[in-house]
Amino acid sequence: MDFGLSGPEQAFADEVRAFLRAHPPETFQEDGTDAGYGSGAHSRTFTRALGERGWLSMAWPREHGGQARPMSYLLILLEELATAGAPFGPLSGCLQVSDSIIRNGSETLQREILPLVARGEATFWQGYSEPDAGSDLLALKTHARLEGDHWVLDGRKIWSSHAGIATYGTVLARTDPTSTRNRGLSMLMVDNRLPGMDVRPIRSLTGRVYHYEIFMDGVRVPRDWVLGKPGEGFNQLLKGLDTDRFWGRFYKAPFLRRILGLLVDYVNAAMPRDAVARRRLAHAAGEIAALRALFLRAAWLIERGMPATGEVSAAKVMADELGQRVLSMGMELLGPYAVLRAGSRWARLRGEIEHQYQTSWGHTLAGGTSEIQRTTIAVRALGLPAEPRARG
Amino acid sequence: MDLSFSPSQQLLQQSARALLQQRCPIERVQELALDPRGFAADLWKEIATLGWPGLLVPTELGGSGGSVGDALALVEELGRACFPSPFIGSAIVATTALTTAGGRRARALLPALALGERICALALLEESGRLDPDALALAVAAPGRVTGRKLFVSDAHVATDVIALGRSPAGPTALLLPMDRAGITARPLDSMTGDKLFELELVDVETGPDDLLGAPGDGWALLAPALGIGALARSAEMAGAARRVLELCVEHARVRVQGGRPIGAYQAVQHACADLFRDVESARWLMWEAAWKLESGRPDADAAIAASKAYGAEACLRVARRGHQIMGAIGYSEEHPLHLFHKRILAAGLAAGDATRHLETVAKSIGLA
Repeated sequence: MDFGLSGPEQAFADEVRAFLRAHPPETFQEDGTDAGYGSGAHSRTFTRALGERGWLSMAWPREHGGQARPMSYLLILLEELATAGAPFGPLSGCLQVSDSIIRNGSETLQREILPLVARGEATFWQGYSEPDAGSDLLALKTHARLEGDHWVLDGRKIWSSHAGIATYGTVLARTDPTSTRNRGLSMLMVDNRLPGMDVRPIRSLTGRVYHYEIFMDGVRVPRDWVLGKPGEGFNQLLKGLDTDRFWGRFYKAPFLRRILGLLVDYVNAAMPRDAVARRRLAHAAGEIAALRALFLRAAWLIERGMPATGEVSAAKVMADELGQRVLSMGMELLGPYAVLRAGSRWARLRGEIEHQYQTSWGHTLAGGTSEIQRTTIAVRALGLPAEPRARG
Repeated sequence: MDLSFSPSQQLLQQSARALLQQRCPIERVQELALDPRGFAADLWKEIATLGWPGLLVPTELGGSGGSVGDALALVEELGRACFPSPFIGSAIVATTALTTAGGRRARALLPALALGERICALALLEESGRLDPDALALAVAAPGRVTGRKLFVSDAHVATDVIALGRSPAGPTALLLPMDRAGITARPLDSMTGDKLFELELVDVETGPDDLLGAPGDGWALLAPALGIGALARSAEMAGAARRVLELCVEHARVRVQGGRPIGAYQAVQHACADLFRDVESARWLMWEAAWKLESGRPDADAAIAASKAYGAEACLRVARRGHQIMGAIGYSEEHPLHLFHKRILAAGLAAGDATRHLETVAKSIGLA
């Protein structure tokens, strides 16, 4: 049993730390809101800086311009970035989509998009949910039909993070009009600049924008801009979901540890020796450590190609619910100051707690609700019988 | 990172599971819990022939010099079987304390512990109920005479020896006494967990310089590493027991039919089972990470062990408590195994430091003043 870093892994962690010291997170321009998962704000300049160091493509195979580094390097990178509070909002999307392109993308996609991802010039949004297809994703209505060398794409996607500032989206659409449920779906790669794309911001309860609604009206997508084979979009989605859930949440443990550190400093200064606060913070520290251990277990299974659906879903549920508890505790510890926004004269801890508190309420919904995750654990990992579907 | 068990650990797990399934079915655990003496002498002999009590005893003293990880891999299986025995107290905590302390008496006792011929109990707590060097009231002297009381001493009825922690002018001081020393009386405490707990009364017990374990004043320092490993072992025991509760619940949810379908096909029950899975896995891997930190000598090992014990107790108890709801009325009956696991987790959560003590260690480690 070894939870530690190898010599070269430790050297890489030191390299990332040195980079973050030389380029403090606050020196990068932010162009999109921090969605609160722990990956900080969306910053194109920071993404490009990661690309310059070769870190965006380091785990890719050499034939695609990567360095074939093991998954552990990505874990180290994400953990160090989250600990420092760096603005790496687009990173997990880049990792997921590039992995998908390498495994299942056409030669065209590999040739055109991978070099942009490696340089930090391509970022991605996911087009899964629709107004009438949330937890029941397979009720989706977005569809595409082949016309010569192009798919003609029509439909509407919603709750796509950073879609207005990203460059490409992965859109799940029905490509076989005679199909139902999980058959006849395809995962199309869509360039935001194509005619017929209309990306509209949704202001969230935080008062800020990071979700978008996407209207697609006769968008012509090149025929080979498909991930996986046409008609096999559902498999593509399933394959992606476990890893999406993992890569979209792994950095939440170090993020919560950072938030906890802020609260410890606050309590030490504002209410030293307060026994209740002390107990609550120590208790949360144990939970955060347990969350990280669960993620490491999931990572180890994923790296070995072993089934990790239960572990990944359990880690996601725990990350998002623990996040809500930690941020709620933060609000309570700050008392009346808790509600003051960043920039407000009397705001404590730079107003970070209120923003992260508000974002946390979306996390148990995004990427598959906690209810969907629990059903997934029960049916796919524990082998309980699926609940019968309602007729109709 | 390598989260796999070594070949020797896997072998140990497999043989332990096979033996306990055959020789310690849950009906046996139930009998032992209800029996006031409740000690399976035959099983203790059997595991002694397999070398389990000697796992952590150095090879030159007749043990197998195994690692902490080996012991934890075994203890997970003991927890899974809900195996009642003085194993963790004697073969893990007392053995580690004796190994740490060294000295003639300790070195003489260890080979007999390795063979399972002698069993060493721990008398640490007193009326305060706190595992804390500052809470010790028992005045000890060696040579001298000792009068006082220790509480919550496990398995005193089958122990041949006891490590008793008290206070001398030099500070916390440990004695190693034979249980048959004149003036020592063990009185059973009636615990709902089925574990055998005792009050140890010492009346004018005569001690010699040879009875000192370590130097006067070193008692806490030599027990602290043993209690750290003990806390890990209790975490492993709880994780093993909680994992079994999860299995029992999932099995029940698959076969128990109500309203025309297995109750496991209802979301309310599915989601409860999913939470059990989360608690079991997170507690288990937090324990293994802490064990790795200890074995690789990392400075944050103590804090990791404390977090593992505090979190493990809470998460595994949550599993047992929610388990009762999933299992329904049958799980409320004495003949059903669920309450045995529940009570074992409860007892393990209190042993080797309760959550209050461990959370204080965590509080200091995160920088709270």
